[in-house]
Amino acid sequence: MWIKRLLGLSLIFATACKPPTPAEQMESALSWIGTAGMAGKAWLRHTTPDTYTRQTLELSHDKLGQLADELLKSPPPGADSESLNSVLARSRKRIARLEALITAKNVRGFARELDALRADQRLVKRMSDRMEPNE
Amino acid sequence: MDLVRDVMDQKLLDREDCEMGRVDGLVMEVGEHSQPRITHIQIGGTTPWMRLHPAFARLSARLAQMWGPKRKEPVRIPWSRVMTVGRDIKLDVRVRETGAIDWEIWIARHIIERIPGGGHVEEG
Amino acid sequence: MKKVLAITLGIVTSVGGFLEIGSVTTAVQAGAAFGYQLLWAILLGTACLVFLVEMSGRFSAVSRHTIVDATRERFGFPFFAIVMVGVVLVFFMVLVAELGGIGLSLQILTGIGFPWWAVPVSFVVWFLMWKGTFGLIENGASILGLVTISFVVAAVKLNPDWGAAAHGLLPGMPGTDKAKYGFLAVSILGASISPHLMYFYSSGAIEDEWDKSYIPVNRFIATLGMTFGGVLSMAALVAAALTFQPNGVEVDTFEQSALLMTTALPKWGFFLFAASMLFTCLGAALETSLAIAYFFAQGFGWSWSEDLTPSKNARFCFVYTIIILLAAVPLLMGIDPIKVTLMSMALTAATLPLAVAPFLFLMNDPIYLGEHRNGWISNTVVAITILISFVLALIAIPLQILGG
Repeated sequence: MWIKRLLGLSLIFATACKPPTPAEQMESALSWIGTAGMAGKAWLRHTTPDTYTRQTLELSHDKLGQLADELLKSPPPGADSESLNSVLARSRKRIARLEALITAKNVRGFARELDALRADQRLVKRMSDRMEPNE
Repeated sequence: MDLVRDVMDQKLLDREDCEMGRVDGLVMEVGEHSQPRITHIQIGGTTPWMRLHPAFARLSARLAQMWGPKRKEPVRIPWSRVMTVGRDIKLDVRVRETGAIDWEIWIARHIIERIPGGGHVEEG
Repeated sequence: MKKVLAITLGIVTSVGGFLEIGSVTTAVQAGAAFGYQLLWAILLGTACLVFLVEMSGRFSAVSRHTIVDATRERFGFPFFAIVMVGVVLVFFMVLVAELGGIGLSLQILTGIGFPWWAVPVSFVVWFLMWKGTFGLIENGASILGLVTISFVVAAVKLNPDWGAAAHGLLPGMPGTDKAKYGFLAVSILGASISPHLMYFYSSGAIEDEWDKSYIPVNRFIATLGMTFGGVLSMAALVAAALTFQPNGVEVDTFEQSALLMTTALPKWGFFLFAASMLFTCLGAALETSLAIAYFFAQGFGWSWSEDLTPSKNARFCFVYTIIILLAAVPLLMGIDPIKVTLMSMALTAATLPLAVAPFLFLMNDPIYLGEHRNGWISNTVVAITILISFVLALIAIPLQILGG
């Protein structure tokens, strides 16, 4: 009996050490675009210091880059991988520009770029909703 | 008296209520023609580790020789010095005369006193 | 007056113990990922903790022994040694996480990375223990920790659907991501029912020289203090649900958590979050360091008290000095404190039976407690908590891998 349980537990460990699914990666990508958006919005309202906002945007940029590479290698089923790659790359560029605009203290430019980033986020969300379900 | 329940692992206090450690072991004398009787309480050294496994006792003995007061044997207090056995066991001894806090004094003198604000160990 | 002031023991145990990087991280992650659905885990953890903390205090007040004393005396050195291994491992990881939490709070405020804060933060924690008294740590941490009331203010300002929140107080299963849900539930319970809280509280009752006359006060403190911590934790979850979910943000990092109150409290939210984490992690770091030192000193029968000069309880002070030094090392190496936090919560859950199971015996021991032994309600709660702890111990590690 205890041998069966040990084997069962080993199976759990073996199958559990799996990488995230493309659907989970899409959700993470959305999350990081959303994070950049929230951090940007907070900065516009003078809620957060420059250093924190820049660091959070940089983190979002890096995380999004990793996720975009992985999604390129194994795109989610039912997704237009070219369009997805394009919008993720565009989002990354916008996040990098937001960082630069903080340094330049260009509030108006920042607000415009942030609106564009939110539009990208809505686009990625629509792509994610059209995908095949995860579970 | 239930030795395991009321004596083993109990806290030891000297006649001035200073902490001396715990009852890590008991030494029993078994005579050919007499009833077995407890002769000593044993504190520290390899005694508690021996209760886990001899390998731990050997490791403890090796570490004790490399560092600290380098005491070879555990501290033994004659059973006759036991005054009361209750929630703690009170002994009719002075802790500094027994060697039970050799480690405490060694660490205090060699490490704690050397750090500013550490205070000083009382002599005697 | 002393009894009235004694409520600070409960509040610091709550604020520094209940509310710290583990409980805040898990609550915020849970709110962001599942909305109100995991409020029941905080409620359950809080309820168990109220009873366990009350028992710890009652035990020490009546017997004038701590839980650790009694664990060694009643179960012997071999069992104590097993508990010691589990305790040292888990408490050490918790200490790393708390020091890291202080470092991360300073990082988001200054922009200087948390590894640079490892040494100064560890030094400050050590210095407060070296020079400070138990009263200073107790009162200081609890007063500073009151800044966490901002979590409640933020949650209320976001106008939650109280009906939906009330639904979250009942256990349920989500539609998707069951493994992650399970992992977060286990982590929340591990963050709530922390053994170091019980050991600290029990030792604190001795430090504060409680006796049988403190039994009613103890009940009040345990209930008020732990409930206060539970409410703060729930407020963090609710605020996270209303702040992060609408933006599609899953919270994985401290930087993301820092945005928790920026919607509800635009002017001060960010700084209040940073201050809250700074002070609660500081309180928790002090509490955890003390809990480790108390554990060794009480288990081996050394002299111990935070109120004594270090040379008068040399081994006790040596233990916390070494442990704080060692805890700085993973942070200096840049190991993510949030990852350490989540692992330590899962490990706490996995080792919970070792800490909780002895309670059933100790709290019914007439030699220690006389007429103040557990009644059937307390015994039932302990039994249920032991059952929960065994279930958590079995599923914690697999869920950590599957859903963590």
